[in-house]
Amino acid sequence: MNETLLSGVMLASGDVELPGVGDFLLPEIIFPGTPFAMDRIIMVRVIATVIMLVVLGLTAARVKLIPGRWQAAVEWVLEFVREQIVYQVMGEERGKRYVPMITTMFLTIFVFNICGIIPGFNIAATATITMPLVFAGWCFVQYWIAGIREKGLGEFLKEELFPKGVPAPIYILLTPIQLLELLVIRPVSLTIRLFANMLSGHIMVGLCLAATQLFLVESHSLMAVIGVGTFAAGIAMTLFEAFVAALQAFIFAMLTTAYINMSYPEAE
Amino acid sequence: MTIAEGEKSGIALFIPQVYDIVWSLIILLIVAVFFYKFFMPKFQAVFDERAAKIEGGIAKAEQAQADAVAAKEKYEAQLSTARVEASKIRDDARAEASHIIADARSRAESDAAQITANAQRSIESQQQQALVSLKGEVGVLATALAGKILGTKLQDADVQSSMIDQMIDDMSTSGK
Repeated sequence: MNETLLSGVMLASGDVELPGVGDFLLPEIIFPGTPFAMDRIIMVRVIATVIMLVVLGLTAARVKLIPGRWQAAVEWVLEFVREQIVYQVMGEERGKRYVPMITTMFLTIFVFNICGIIPGFNIAATATITMPLVFAGWCFVQYWIAGIREKGLGEFLKEELFPKGVPAPIYILLTPIQLLELLVIRPVSLTIRLFANMLSGHIMVGLCLAATQLFLVESHSLMAVIGVGTFAAGIAMTLFEAFVAALQAFIFAMLTTAYINMSYPEAE
Repeated sequence: MTIAEGEKSGIALFIPQVYDIVWSLIILLIVAVFFYKFFMPKFQAVFDERAAKIEGGIAKAEQAQADAVAAKEKYEAQLSTARVEASKIRDDARAEASHIIADARSRAESDAAQITANAQRSIESQQQQALVSLKGEVGVLATALAGKILGTKLQDADVQSSMIDQMIDDMSTSGK
C-alpha cells in the first residue's frame, strides 16, 4: 500500500528497515505450529496484561478510603468510565451491570493501545485483527443477550429489523441492512476501526523514524535537513498515537455501551 | 522490512490466526475475571464505604444541629420557667413581708394594749392599796387624835384651835 512512497526512499538507501504489513504478520516465536503459538505481538500482549494486572492488582489490594495520588488517578479513570460513558449513555439503573464490562474494555484496550509507543514494545497489543475482534465479540454477545432478556428474541428482532414508522415497501431495503447491521456491521466496524487505527499509527510512526534514520544518520548529505523534519514529525506522531490510544479505547467503550443500550426498550 | 517482505498480501491482516484467537480469548478471560472478581469489587467497596462515611457525617451533623436546637429550646423554656418562678417568689416574698409587717403591727398594738391595761391595773391596785392603808391610818390617827384631845384637857379656844392646827400639820406630814 505504501510501495510507491517507499520505492522512492528505497532508491536512496539499501537497507533501512521500513514499516509495512509484514510488521503485523510475524513469525511464530514460541510453540510454533500449535494453537498456543506466540508471535511478537502476542508476547507484547501477554507482557502488557501481566504488567497491567500487577499494577492494578496492587492498587486494588492497597485501596484506601482516603486515596493517594495514584489511587486518585485510577479512581478518576473509573469514575470517567462509569459517569461519562456508561451512565451518560444508558443511565444509572441500566448501566450498573455493565460498568465492570465497559471498565474492563476501556482500560485493557487503552493499555494494549499504548504499547504501540512504549519503547521495547513498539507495537500495540491490539494490532492484530483478533484482539479487537474478541472485544467486539463480547460486545456482540452482550447486546444480543440484553435484547433477548429485555424484549424476548421475537420482539427484539421485530423491533430491530422492522423499525416502526417506516412505510412497508421500505422494509425490502431496510430489513436486510438492519440484519446485516445487527450481525456483521456492528462488530466488524468496531474491530476494524480499532485495528486499522493501531496499524496505521504504527506505520506512520515507523515511517517517520525510518526516514529519520535514512536522512539524518545514513545519508551524509544535505538530505539530513529533511531528517530533522521527519524526526520532529516522528515525535509528533508518537504523541498523536498516545492520544489515539486513549481516543480509540474511549470510542470502543462508548460504542459498545451504545449498542447494548439500543437493545433495551425505548421507554422503561 | 524490505519491500520484498512488504509485498505480503494485506488481506492476511484481516484473517485471524488460530493461535491469535486462543491467546486473545485467554487474555480477555483473565482480564475480565480480574476486573469482575477483584478490581471492581475492591474499588466499589471503597466507594460505598466513602459514601456511607459522608452520609453518616452529614447525618451526624444534622443530629448535632437538632440536638443543639433542642438544647436551646429546653434552655429557653427553663429560663422562662425560672423567670416566672422568680417573679412568683418575689410576689410571695412581698406578700409575706406585708403579712409579717401587719402581724408585727397588730402584735405590737396588742402588746401596747396589754401593757397599758397592766399599768392601769397596777395603778388601780396601788390606789386600792393606798386607800386600804389610808383607811387604816385614818383610824389610827383618829384614835391618836382622840387620845390627844382627851390628854390635853381642852381648856380654851386658843389652845383648841392651835391643837387642831397641830393635828392637821401632823396629818399632812404623816399623810405624805
